[in-house]
Amino acid sequence: MAGKIDARLRELGITLPAPAKPAGNYVGYVVTGNLVFLSGQLPFEDGKVKVTGKVGKDVTIEQAQAAARLVALNTLANLREACGGDLDRVRRCVKVGGFVNATPDFTQPPQVINGFSDLLAEVFGDIAKHARFAIGTNSLPLGAVVEVDAVFEIA
Amino acid sequence: MSGRIAARLDQLGIALPPPFPPRGSYVGAVVTGHLVYVAGQGPIIDGKPGYVGKLGRDLSVEDGYKAARQTGLQILAEVQHAVPGGLDRVTRAVKLFGLVNCTADFTDQARVINGVSDLMAEIFGEAGKHARVAVGAETLPFGIAVEIDGIFEIE
Repeated sequence: MAGKIDARLRELGITLPAPAKPAGNYVGYVVTGNLVFLSGQLPFEDGKVKVTGKVGKDVTIEQAQAAARLVALNTLANLREACGGDLDRVRRCVKVGGFVNATPDFTQPPQVINGFSDLLAEVFGDIAKHARFAIGTNSLPLGAVVEVDAVFEIA
Repeated sequence: MSGRIAARLDQLGIALPPPFPPRGSYVGAVVTGHLVYVAGQGPIIDGKPGYVGKLGRDLSVEDGYKAARQTGLQILAEVQHAVPGGLDRVTRAVKLFGLVNCTADFTDQARVINGVSDLMAEIFGEAGKHARVAVGAETLPFGIAVEIDGIFEIE
């Protein structure tokens, strides 16, 4: 049935944002063979980074998880464009790299990045299950609390 | 070196540096199917790590940009060396991942990594437009300002 993922998004009450236009000599995604490599996504909403700061200092784990979920929406917006508008073409989420802007003593980046992985699972079900790394780092662009890098397989 | 990309490098007054010898049990680049995975590279000047220091403390964004550009030359040198037929076989710069050695309050990683993105656009034109991830890092090998790895598509 065409539009299965779009129907699922509606069911979840999710409207994907418009993909942000990169402000530099790069693009939001590249399709090569059956893989889509996406640019690192930030928790953008209405053209601004919605959650900035460091987990362990300014931002709680819950707030960072919500930011990671917002990152996933931005990722899907780019992925949908990469699929020519048809997210049903997604065969698998292959790999996710999650970066959490955190204090040096913060040891729970995986919990934060679950905000991203869980959103994918809600939308795609079993095919969302990806290989993943989730790490802390001392700083991210624009002070964002989380950035996620993702690779998908499409038909 | 001869061919289309050699001519373009000449035009831009660019001479590729030699590949930087790996410091361990790995190689500078691996060709798999139609993709080339390039190991993390740094800005090497006269065979030694250059642009040592942290953005936000020791180096200006302009110097960071130059470090990223210099690192881009190392990346290209690896592809030229690893792919039979060299850079002329590149059909796309697929993805670049840039780490910026920075202070915890430095948030201009994108402007620094533009150094490598602009280089790819200069060399390859539209084919140089890659997916990009830019993050901050607390420390990098030899204290260099940036480390960048990449994936290219070849014919």
